[in-house]
This record gives sequence, structure tokens and C-alpha cells, in this order.
Amino acid sequence: MRRIAGGEREALRQLYQATSAKLFGVCLRILVDRDEAEDVLQDVYLTIWRRADRYDAGRASVIAWTSAIARNRAIDRLRARGPLAMAEPVEDLELADDAPGAEALLEQAGEHGRLLACLDTLDARTRQVIRTAFFEGVTYEALAQRTATPLGTVKSWIRRGLARLKGCLEA
Amino acid sequence: MSQGHELSPIEALAAEHALGVLTGPERAQAEARMASDPAFAVLVEDWRARLAPLAAEVASVEPPARLWPSIERSLPANDNGAVLRRLRFWRSATVGSLGVAAASLAAVVFLAAQPPRIVERAAPAAPMLNASLMGGAAQPMFVAAYDPMRKMLLVTSLVPPGADPGHAHQLWVVTADGRSHSLGMVQPGASKVMPMPEPMAPMMAEGSALMVSVEPPSGSPMPHPTGPVAAKGMLTRI
Repeated sequence: MRRIAGGEREALRQLYQATSAKLFGVCLRILVDRDEAEDVLQDVYLTIWRRADRYDAGRASVIAWTSAIARNRAIDRLRARGPLAMAEPVEDLELADDAPGAEALLEQAGEHGRLLACLDTLDARTRQVIRTAFFEGVTYEALAQRTATPLGTVKSWIRRGLARLKGCLEA
Repeated sequence: MSQGHELSPIEALAAEHALGVLTGPERAQAEARMASDPAFAVLVEDWRARLAPLAAEVASVEPPARLWPSIERSLPANDNGAVLRRLRFWRSATVGSLGVAAASLAAVVFLAAQPPRIVERAAPAAPMLNASLMGGAAQPMFVAAYDPMRKMLLVTSLVPPGADPGHAHQLWVVTADGRSHSLGMVQPGASKVMPMPEPMAPMMAEGSALMVSVEPPSGSPMPHPTGPVAAKGMLTRI
């Protein structure tokens, strides 16, 4: 990251090689549209190029920091489609699968395992809406519509869930 | 720690922004606050860091090989002028993505190989809309661009020519109320410019979706799709 902040293109290329498939996956999961995901991914690496000096290794790993940028950009693009974009996923009307996949199970060590363990302390419904929000980048409104639940209820599930999550992670 | 533990209103906002559940205008406000309120920015960054490990569950997908050269070409020289960097950052966040969108539209127009008048005309004053209609395999099967100035929709089928000769691909616009309206047929592999007469033109708006259904060769016998939906995509401003 220091080399990228110093303007070394080769360092950015190496970061791209190491992280682009993961970050493209993150963008594609939120946007579904491949063209848009490609567009956003370009923007993500330009953002990394310009903001590398703000990276703080003490706060987040490189993959965590870059994937947060990718999510943020992809959600910006999703919002540009309109407030209820993705209120109804094309495939089905269910919430995101609550069970982590095989790849995830292999990676459960470390930070991810700790986060999953804390998510597991939440009730299933709260865990599901938080996971759906994370993976699909949808709004409170869209979550309320999908779960056929009043907006205020969904907000309070998520706020209380996040508060408990923080408590668990800090315990 | 305890069940009664609550986030302060400001931290709740930071957490919601990091999770990504805010609407577009709320996000813009939160970003502006991050720029002017370092304490809030730290809260957001902390929440991003807390949630980020979940990304480990997202399947990696290789981006196309052409993407890196394109990123490399668009890199400006890094420098230490914080003000310049900020300016560039904002410019790239807007103009940069516009440029890419315009480039992809140019590709659509090129691909269409339609009469050259389309390519030669000056850029329209009203924003163009475009849509990539994705099929089941998350691959675009049709691309469309709508010019609100001329009320023309350009549609290109990326389906191989001659595919599925027993059926037709019918294009629909799905308006915000969920109703579909037929726009006509699109031949596999072909491009088509469709004038949008008055009842249709207002439907060509952000938030409408374009959809292609598989129908009998003569088209759907009903005023709505009767066959399976092959591809769908939202109209978005570029």
C-alpha cells in the first residue's frame, strides 16, 4: 500500500492480481449486471490508487479495506438505479442464503470465523437481514418489502443486531 | 455485550452507512459528513472493518483480461498535493465512470452497425439511458440504449444468429407499476432501432426495466409475455 501511495504502478498491478477476482465477485454479487460490475471495478482501483495513503494497516487488512471500497462503490451504483432497486431479486423472493458456502467454511479461521460466531448469537431473522444487506447492498426499504415487514421493524432489528454484534466482537 | 446494549444515534448511522442500507440521498449525506467530521469517519471505517470479513464468503470471479490495461491507461500520476488528489478523486468518481459508460455505449453503437447517422450525430442534451439485459448465467444477452431527444431505442441481440429458430424474442418494457408493454421482436444477433411513439416514450425512464421473453414466432398472443423471460435489465442513466 505504501508503494501504491508513492505512485508505483507496478505495486497497484500486483494488488490487482491478488485482489481483483475477489473484488469483482463482491461487485457482481451486488450489481448482478456484469458490465456495471466491470465499470465499478475500474473505479475501485482508481480509488485505491488515489487513497492508498489513507490505508491504516492497524485498522483493517488489505483485503478488508479494498473489499469495503468495492462494496461502497457498487452500492453507490446500485442506488443510482433507484430507491427500490433489487427490492425483488430476479431469481427468487427469498432472502440471501443464511448458510455460508464451502469456500467460507474453509476460511472460517480468524476474523471471519469470529464475525460468524458473533452473527450466530443473533436471532436467525436478524442475522438474515444483516447478511442480505451486506451481500446484496439493498436498502432498508427493499429489505422491508422483501420480508413484508414494516420499515421501522426492520430498522430496529438491524440496529439492535449491529449493537449486539459490536458487543460480541469486543467481548 | 448485554442484550440491552444500544448504539448511540451517531454510531447507528455510521453502522448503517457501513452496512449499506441507506438510500442514495442518505448515503450522500453520510459521505459528506465523513468528509467534514473525522470522528464520524472513524466510526464508519471501524464498522466497515468489522463487517468486511464477511466478504470472504463471496465467490471470486475473474474479471475480463482487458480490464487491467484499461485501468492502467486511466491512472493519473500520483502526487502529494492533497487538494489536487481530492479534486481528482471527485472528478474521477463522476467523470470517470461517465467516461466508461460512454465508452460502453459507443461500443453498443459500433456493434449495432446501424446507419451511420446515429454515430455521426452530436451527443444529446438529455441523458441517454442504457440497459444490459442479463440472462440466467449473469451474462448480458441484449444491450439497449435509449435516446430521449430522438425517442429512439437501439437494441442489440447478443444471441448467436440462427439460435432457436422455432421461437421469437419479444422485447418488453416493464414500468414501475409492474406492467409490461410490448416493444416488438428482436432477431438473434441483430440490431434494431425502434422509434418510441408517444404512449411508449414516457415509459423509457430510469426505473423501468427492459425484458425479453421467448414467444411463438408470431409473438405473444397476449398483451403480456406468455413464454419464459430470457433476459432482463434496468434502464439506467449514463
